[in-house]
Amino acid sequence: MSRPERSPSRRGGGRVAPIDMDNERETQKKEQEQRRAAAAARAARREATRAARRAREAEPVRVADKHDGLVRVTHWAHVALLLGLILTGLAIYWAAPVFRHAPTPGNPRGDYFIDAGHALASLFGVPGDTRYWLYERTSVGPYQLANALRLHWLFAYLYMVCGALYVAGLVRGGGWRALMPRASDPAEALAMIRYYLGVVPHALSRKPWPHPPVVGKYNALQRAAYLTMPLVGALVVLSGWAMHKPATLGWLERLFVNYDGARIVHFTCMAILGSFTIPHVILVIADGWDTFRSMVTGWSVRLKGTPHA
Amino acid sequence: MPDKQAKVPSLGAKLGAAIRRAAASAAERPETSRETTRGVLAARSRRDFLLFGAAALATTTVGWWLLPERAKRTWLPGSADRLDSLAARVGLTRMQREANLNRVLTFDDDVAEALFAKDRRVRTYDRADPRPLVINYNGRIPRPEYVAGWRLNLSGLASGRTESLSIDELLSRFTRHDMITRLVCVEGWSHVVAWGGLRFADLLSAYPPAPGTRWAAMRSSVSLDDDGNPDPYYVSIDLETARHPQALLATHQAGAPLTLAHGAPLRLVAPMKLGLKNIKALTDIAYTTAEPADYWNDRGYSKYDGL
Repeated sequence: MSRPERSPSRRGGGRVAPIDMDNERETQKKEQEQRRAAAAARAARREATRAARRAREAEPVRVADKHDGLVRVTHWAHVALLLGLILTGLAIYWAAPVFRHAPTPGNPRGDYFIDAGHALASLFGVPGDTRYWLYERTSVGPYQLANALRLHWLFAYLYMVCGALYVAGLVRGGGWRALMPRASDPAEALAMIRYYLGVVPHALSRKPWPHPPVVGKYNALQRAAYLTMPLVGALVVLSGWAMHKPATLGWLERLFVNYDGARIVHFTCMAILGSFTIPHVILVIADGWDTFRSMVTGWSVRLKGTPHA
Repeated sequence: MPDKQAKVPSLGAKLGAAIRRAAASAAERPETSRETTRGVLAARSRRDFLLFGAAALATTTVGWWLLPERAKRTWLPGSADRLDSLAARVGLTRMQREANLNRVLTFDDDVAEALFAKDRRVRTYDRADPRPLVINYNGRIPRPEYVAGWRLNLSGLASGRTESLSIDELLSRFTRHDMITRLVCVEGWSHVVAWGGLRFADLLSAYPPAPGTRWAAMRSSVSLDDDGNPDPYYVSIDLETARHPQALLATHQAGAPLTLAHGAPLRLVAPMKLGLKNIKALTDIAYTTAEPADYWNDRGYSKYDGL
């Protein structure tokens, strides 16, 4: 573009404005060009980014399908249901503890849970009446029997449905095979225990500490734990029915010797199911994001044959 | 012949082969992998994690809604009311919760009723528990004056009349049956007790209920509350249960007549029901077509209570 000539007036006495206007137009035009260039550059960059993303999205990845959809859904539903069952179950337990000593003035039922609550509360320096300190933190609270029973039945029926769907998922996805015990399990389990015991000392002394070889989806300890959980789940359901319907299901009550036998088994199963989650969560965190994600999405990019992280 | 015999495998060998086959089919298969693209994985992950988050949020909301008021106020005293009104905004009100949880009780009762069989005997024992039977009732033990003038009043009979029976009439007219059964409390404790008394079924045949009746409304008008004021106790018993041979109108416990604390002179012992149905110091039985009210059902517990 050529610049328009406006010569006479340019030097014309005292008229300043036109000259300035000219300058301004020039600046504007330059800016406009710069903007256009910048926009074009941005568009090019965006296009390049898009292309790169498309290329990345089109990149092939190998994944292994680890967990059937039903197994994943029921795994997470179990977390909520187990929590609900423990919170309401302990509130029912409060009404008539099965583990108890001779009555004392502050503890007429001789409930060890009340003793433990007292001890913990005084450890934390809690003032006042601390009889129900532990029950208020591990259950929906004392004096909640009617509420706790209704909720416990609700969660218990859902728990049985959840368990049945979990087993269906194991069968559908073939996942049950990875849980079956093997002849080599005792030796492998010992190797794993040795490994876990050595993890922290070796990390501190910065010495290499290789993971024992794992043949299959899980190591021997995982196999044992993951098979135990559904079995204990079945036992907690059976002992629950034995307590709930001891007259109708007399044979089931007898299986647990007597009514209190079923209560003790039920309580012990609860303790096993509940305490399983502690090492389970720690080990999943240690194992990393891929392991957690595989329980949500089902797939894992950590393929067998690649060395264990 | 020896040739043929060698071909027929022994039972042990067959069993061994079956076990090997089972073990082979249970053996873990080698991991299979599939090829996909990063784009597909990203889209799937996004969808799955969004679903996961939505489900976690829904579970937390419903969980909060279901919590008993006491727990809400113990755990989040500052924000319980605010969270409650938030939950109410999506329809999760306290009334809704009560209605739904009572439906759970009804469902569980329906399961118990479906499982009931009139011919199934409840487990009996050779010996009662040696320790004394717990007196679990919150109210006061009635004063002994009522026992002398005690009568059992029957209504809703086929005869259209009402009957009033004394304890001597009941003891002399009906055969005494003894049984040692377990009394199971809704709280979780239980006690094996030796009972003696007449069969409810025998009373039903001597004084048949009106046709079409399905329930016995059983009542103790002498029951007292904690302050000593009248607090009638009432339970509903289905007639199927009442006709069960192990449903006793007990007059004796551990070989001796019932004490005041355990429901003198007559109480219900139905070991196929929760302990709270085993009404003490029974004074009235009315046979009804509609299901009568039940003391503990009115206080949030289940109603059929079949064990």
